[in-house]
Amino acid sequence: MSAAPILEVEALAKRFGGFTALADVTARFFSGSLTSIIGPNGAGKSTFFNLISGSLAPSDGRIRFQSRDITAEPQHRFAHLGIAKSFQITNLFPQLSVLENVRVAAQAMKSRFDIWSKRENYRDLVTRAEELLATVGLAARRHDAVENLAHGDQRSLEIAVALACDPRLLLLDEPTAGMSPEEARAMMDLILRLNQERTVILVEHRMKLVMGISDRILVLHHGRLLAEGAPDDIRSHEEVRRVYLGQSV
Amino acid sequence: MTLDLFLLQLFTGLALGSIYVLLALGLSLIFGLLNIVNFAHGQFFMLGAYVGAFALGLLGNFWLALLAVPLFVGALGMLAERFLVRPLYGRGIDYPLLLTYGLGLILLDSVRILAGTEGIPFPAPDVLSGATDLGLFFFPTYRLFLIVVTALVLLALWFFLEKTPYGLIIRAGALDQEIVQVLGVDVARVWLIVFGAGVALAGLAGVLAAPIRGVFPEMGIPILVDAFVVTVIGGMGSLLGAVVAGLLVGVTVSFTSFYFPQTATLSIFILMALVLIFRPRGLFGRAGALG
Amino acid sequence: MAAGAQAAGGTDWRLRAAPLIGIIARHRVLAAVIFLAVFPWLAPYKALAVNILIFGLFAMGFNLIYGYAGMLSFGHAALFGLGAYGCGVPIAKFGVPWFIGLPLGVVTAGLASVVIGWFATRSRGIYFAMVTLALSQVVYYVVFQWVSLTGGEDGLRGVNVPAIDVFGAHLSIVDPTVKYYLILAIVAAAMWVFSRILASPFGAVMEAIRENERRAAACGYDVNRTRWLAFILSGLFSGLAGALYAIHLSIVPIETLHYFTSAVVLMMTLLGGMGTFFGPFLGALIYLLLQDVVTVVTVHWQLVVGTLFVLLILFFPRGVWGSLTHWASR
Repeated sequence: MSAAPILEVEALAKRFGGFTALADVTARFFSGSLTSIIGPNGAGKSTFFNLISGSLAPSDGRIRFQSRDITAEPQHRFAHLGIAKSFQITNLFPQLSVLENVRVAAQAMKSRFDIWSKRENYRDLVTRAEELLATVGLAARRHDAVENLAHGDQRSLEIAVALACDPRLLLLDEPTAGMSPEEARAMMDLILRLNQERTVILVEHRMKLVMGISDRILVLHHGRLLAEGAPDDIRSHEEVRRVYLGQSV
Repeated sequence: MTLDLFLLQLFTGLALGSIYVLLALGLSLIFGLLNIVNFAHGQFFMLGAYVGAFALGLLGNFWLALLAVPLFVGALGMLAERFLVRPLYGRGIDYPLLLTYGLGLILLDSVRILAGTEGIPFPAPDVLSGATDLGLFFFPTYRLFLIVVTALVLLALWFFLEKTPYGLIIRAGALDQEIVQVLGVDVARVWLIVFGAGVALAGLAGVLAAPIRGVFPEMGIPILVDAFVVTVIGGMGSLLGAVVAGLLVGVTVSFTSFYFPQTATLSIFILMALVLIFRPRGLFGRAGALG
Repeated sequence: MAAGAQAAGGTDWRLRAAPLIGIIARHRVLAAVIFLAVFPWLAPYKALAVNILIFGLFAMGFNLIYGYAGMLSFGHAALFGLGAYGCGVPIAKFGVPWFIGLPLGVVTAGLASVVIGWFATRSRGIYFAMVTLALSQVVYYVVFQWVSLTGGEDGLRGVNVPAIDVFGAHLSIVDPTVKYYLILAIVAAAMWVFSRILASPFGAVMEAIRENERRAAACGYDVNRTRWLAFILSGLFSGLAGALYAIHLSIVPIETLHYFTSAVVLMMTLLGGMGTFFGPFLGALIYLLLQDVVTVVTVHWQLVVGTLFVLLILFFPRGVWGSLTHWASR
């Protein structure tokens, strides 16, 4: 783990009309770390993620990635910067095959406006797509239609697509949503493996899962940063216990 | 430009704008709630003029004819919604659009078959003909009537939407269709009425415009374009936008007709282009209302 | 699936047709050209066959933006019409030869699609159709008013190309058969280019954006720019069709620029099957043949078109070729 923050947010805020989803969030994320963001429903976790992945523009505040201010960057620049997100609700290319989903995601780094070459000429993209599918355990299903995949496999494909642009920062929005305990454990193993090569930020609901693997935890509540620190500090944090553990986990 | 000339042009623009307001209101109502761009809007406008002409011939009374038009056209619209448009819900935003276009063609040729291709006369009633003295200038009485009627319709619509429970449902539905459904409202009935009301407004615009524009089968063809331009400027789904943009376009056409008659039609497209450059969602459009 | 098919007794033709359809799909340009090469001998008369070629090309260009990129444009009449006027005016008014006129038409349409496309792609979804319609009507009005250059309401006359000299051969295109095969040569070349574009990385980008625009942007694709480029490419093909149309008719009617023409090409694409390679040509064929037959019987062609539109949308949204390939793949 290096000492330079790979991502910094400063006084980040997001308002939708009269409703404040996120207010005055300041945090740093260090290169190579695995940080989890937790909080009750409606705490602003997904909004935060949407802001740092470029899906939403902040109402206030700044975002810095690798010391560069990216607050005003449009959505399509983020993958090129090295930030990729897997979505909370599976968000794939429905009519394309599993392999093509990943291949076309990878192609964005290589060729976006080439109207003349044949796609097959870009063999390295196919190779890369197959490698990524193998990493998430979907190699056998490469030619299947997305709609025929089981839910857990779709979540894995989500991650493969996000990895296609070889991101320095990987954002995973509730990767274990809807998974059985075994699938969730397998997913966590995958995430740990991925963390060896890149910084990971996780939004999760299942406290027990993230406590074990995170370097740091951020707790959001009503759009504000309630607490941050190592898992043990969070576990014993009084306000966190009251807010979060007061509801059934 | 002298004050009285300026006001004359302004009032002419408001009269013209009134027609645009009614058209754009109908279009935005239908879009706001049903997410449908009604490509038959121009033909319902034409239908309104024809129904008005026939009602006038049948009943001999302009006011009764005026009342009959939105009722008849609205009823036809509800039939169309129930049997042609409703089966398409959930199938993607393009299908209802395309269906309404086909419906428009059917209306066009049906009118040609039933009423001939030449067009029919539609005189304004005597009480509304001639000009009224507005102090600084004389203004055609019928055009004044147009402005007044549109203002009354706007008032009635505002009252209905803001002050009645049904209006509340419509406003809520425009903001979030799912919630309204979950709350147990008969959404199908709402869609039916809104579509009917939307095309009724177009029909009303048609019969009101008839004494000025005449009544002929092709009258609705360019109207579709005008309605779209106004709606893009005002912001699709925004009723306030429909009103502001309708009047703005009417006034713009009026003034450019005076100074640069050749380019009067072009001026509204330039307006639209400016809106698209600087505020693509329209003056009052919602940010999330697109795509 | 198989059990159901057997119960319906339809297994036989499905099993036999599937491999054939597969072969046709893989060598689509060649298959289309072969069919079109023998087609004039099947068509009732050659001028109709030429129209089918031209409108097939127009519909193919339109299909790029609608079927493949997923954007419903109601303004392609402007691109077709500007291709026609852009080729016709230089030939008729300035005596330019055909091989200059044709590319001029394409370029005119291309420039228009750069402008219209820029404005249109700033609007998403539902707006796109309205904006493209409105902008194409601007072109209509301008051409309508500019009587000295374009002939205004009466259309452009005098686009006379009696013969084409190519590779030393003097080919008189007054002969409809010669005209057909010359135009086929150009259309075939266009089809080949079109096929390359679809098979290119850009083709994959268009598909991805059509499938899931948000995800495509998250992957790093500039959605607006892609759509703009797709619109321009679409306009170039439509413009070429328009230029050929001007040469074919020797006149350019003003109606080519009216939004009714935009609806016609949309109808053809739907009829044949949007997002399929053969659909547009098939659709053009069916539409023009139908029009030919119906207008002999009645003048109320719009009623038929409107009804066809409604029936298609309600019951047959995949179109003819689209439905065939869908059944064959089951």
